[in-house]
Amino acid sequence: MQILQYIINGIALGSVYALISTGFSVIFNVLKFSNFSHGALMTLSAFVGYFIAASNGWGLVPTIIVAVITGCLVALFGELLAFRRILIRNTSPIYFFVSSITLGTLFEGIVVLKVGANFYNYPRFFGKPLHLGSLIISQSDIIIFCISAFALIVLAFVIQKTKLGRALRSVSFDRDTASLMGIDVTRTIQFAFIISGALAGLAGVFLGINYTLYPTLGSLVVKGFIASVIGGLGSLPGAIIGAMLLGIMETALISTIGSGYAPVFTFLIMLVFLLVRPRGIAGSNIQEKA
Amino acid sequence: MSLYTHILTQILITVVSVAGVFVLTGMTGMFSLGQAAFMAIGAYTSGILVTKLSLPVYVAWPAAVVLAVAVGFIVGLPTVRLRRDYISLVTLGFGEAITALLNRATAITGGASGLTGIPKITTLPMAIVSAVLVIALIMFFKRSKYGRQCIAVRSDELAAKSMGINVPKVKMIAFLISVAVTAYGGCLYAFYTAYVDPTLFGWKKSAEWVIMVFFGGVNSLTGSVLSTFVLSGLPEVLRFLQNYRAIIYAVLVLLIINFKPAGLLGEWELTPANVKRLIARSGQPKRTKEVD
Repeated sequence: MQILQYIINGIALGSVYALISTGFSVIFNVLKFSNFSHGALMTLSAFVGYFIAASNGWGLVPTIIVAVITGCLVALFGELLAFRRILIRNTSPIYFFVSSITLGTLFEGIVVLKVGANFYNYPRFFGKPLHLGSLIISQSDIIIFCISAFALIVLAFVIQKTKLGRALRSVSFDRDTASLMGIDVTRTIQFAFIISGALAGLAGVFLGINYTLYPTLGSLVVKGFIASVIGGLGSLPGAIIGAMLLGIMETALISTIGSGYAPVFTFLIMLVFLLVRPRGIAGSNIQEKA
Repeated sequence: MSLYTHILTQILITVVSVAGVFVLTGMTGMFSLGQAAFMAIGAYTSGILVTKLSLPVYVAWPAAVVLAVAVGFIVGLPTVRLRRDYISLVTLGFGEAITALLNRATAITGGASGLTGIPKITTLPMAIVSAVLVIALIMFFKRSKYGRQCIAVRSDELAAKSMGINVPKVKMIAFLISVAVTAYGGCLYAFYTAYVDPTLFGWKKSAEWVIMVFFGGVNSLTGSVLSTFVLSGLPEVLRFLQNYRAIIYAVLVLLIINFKPAGLLGEWELTPANVKRLIARSGQPKRTKEVD
C-alpha cells in the first residue's frame, strides 16, 4: 500500500517535472543546446500569473492562461534578444549556452526588481484531499496530473500530426536542408520557443502551487534536466518517462531519508544511469556530431 | 585593512577560480555549472581539517585539492565520453547535491549557519602570488602538448579524434586541472573570509565565471583575467543601483555575446611578442579595417 502511495504521489510530482523536461527538450532538439534560461522563464511567468490573475481573485484556469501567454511572449522576446543573432551569424553553438545563462540572469533580475526576496502564495485553488481506503490523494495532484497529461497529449499531436510539427522535426534534424526545402527556419524556431514558453508557464504555476512563489523558484529546473538526462537528452518520450521515474524515486527518497539528502541521491542515481546506460531510457545521440 | 585592499584580494581570489574555468571552458569548450561546488569542497575540506582536526595549513590545503580532484574524477568519468552538454547538466546536479550535503551534515559543516572560526591566513601579497603562479601555470599548460590538444577538441571533436587525439583523456585532464585550481581558490577564499556557508557556492557562481571567460575572449587567458577585474569590479562600482545591477550586467553581457562573439580580446594574449607588435602597429598610419 505504501508503494502504491509513493507511485501516486510520484506521478503527480513527475507530471510537473515532465512539463519542465519537455519544454527544455523542445529547444534542445531544435538548436542543440541546453537552455538554461528555462528556469527563470518559469519563475517569471508564474509571477506574472500571480500578479495579474491570482491576486485579483481569479481562479486557477485564468491564472494558467495568463502564465502560459506570458511564457510564450517572453520566450519569443528571449529568442529575439539572445539567440537570433547567434543563429544568423552561425557562430559556434557554445554561444547559445552562455547567452541562455545570461538571459536567465536577466529574467530573474526582473523578478527580483518587482518582488524583492519575498515569498508569495497562490490562493488555495483546491478542496480537501480524497481518501480511498488507506490512500490519500490530494485534489491538486489529480488536477495537475490531468492538465499536464492533456498539455503533453496536445504537444504530441502538434509535433506528430500538424504541418508546423513536421517543419519542427525537419528543422531539428537538419537546419540547412530544411531551409532548402522551403521551410521558414526562423519562423519554425520561434514556434519551438512558443511551445517551450507555454510549457514553462504551465510548469511555473504548478511549481508555485506545490511549493511557494519565490524569485529562485526556477532553480527547480534542475529536476527537469536530470529527468532529460535519465530519459535520453533531446528525446521527448524519454523526457516524460525520465520525469515520471524521477518523481517516483524522489517521493520514495524523501519519505525514507528526508528531503535534505534527496538531491544527493538523485544526483548519484543520475551518475549511475550515465555509467550504465549513457543513452538514457529512450536512447538518443550522445556523441558530438561533426 | 582598507576597502580597496579587501576588494582587490577578493578579485584576485576570483581570478584564480576563473583561470581554472578558462582551462575547461575557454580551451576545451566544456561548461561546468558545478565549478563553485569544487570551490566549496576546497574551502570546506581545508577549513574543517584546520579547525576540527587542527592540522597545519600546509597539510590541509593540498589534502583539500586532492579530495576535490578525486571527486572531480568520479563526476567526470561518465561524462567525458559523451556530448559536451552532459557535463554541464551533470555538474549542475552535482552542485545541487553538494549544497544539500553541506546544508544537512550540520555536525561537520555547520549546516546552513556556515563554518566559522577558520584562521585568517590569506593576505593581499599571498593572493597576488597565487594568482600570478596559477596564471603562469595555465599559460604553460596552454602551450604544452595537452593544451594544444584541448584547443583542437574544442574546435572540432571529431577532427581531433581522427587526428589520433584521445578525446576523453584530454577532456578529463582539462576538467581535473580546472577542478584543482578552483579548489585551491576555495582554500584561499575560506582562509581569507574566515567563514563559509553553502549559499556562496550555488550554480549562479559557476555561471558567473563562465560568463567572465566569454566576456574576455574565449581563447584568451589575458581576456579572462581582464574581464574578471571588470565584471567583479563593476558590481562594486554600481552598488548604488542595487537591484538594477543584475539587469545591467546581463544586458551588457548579452550585447557582447551578440555583437562581438569573440569577446573583448578574442584570441589575443599578453606576451612580449604581441605587445611589441601592438606598439609597432600603433606607430604606423591607420590601416583599413580588418575583416573579422
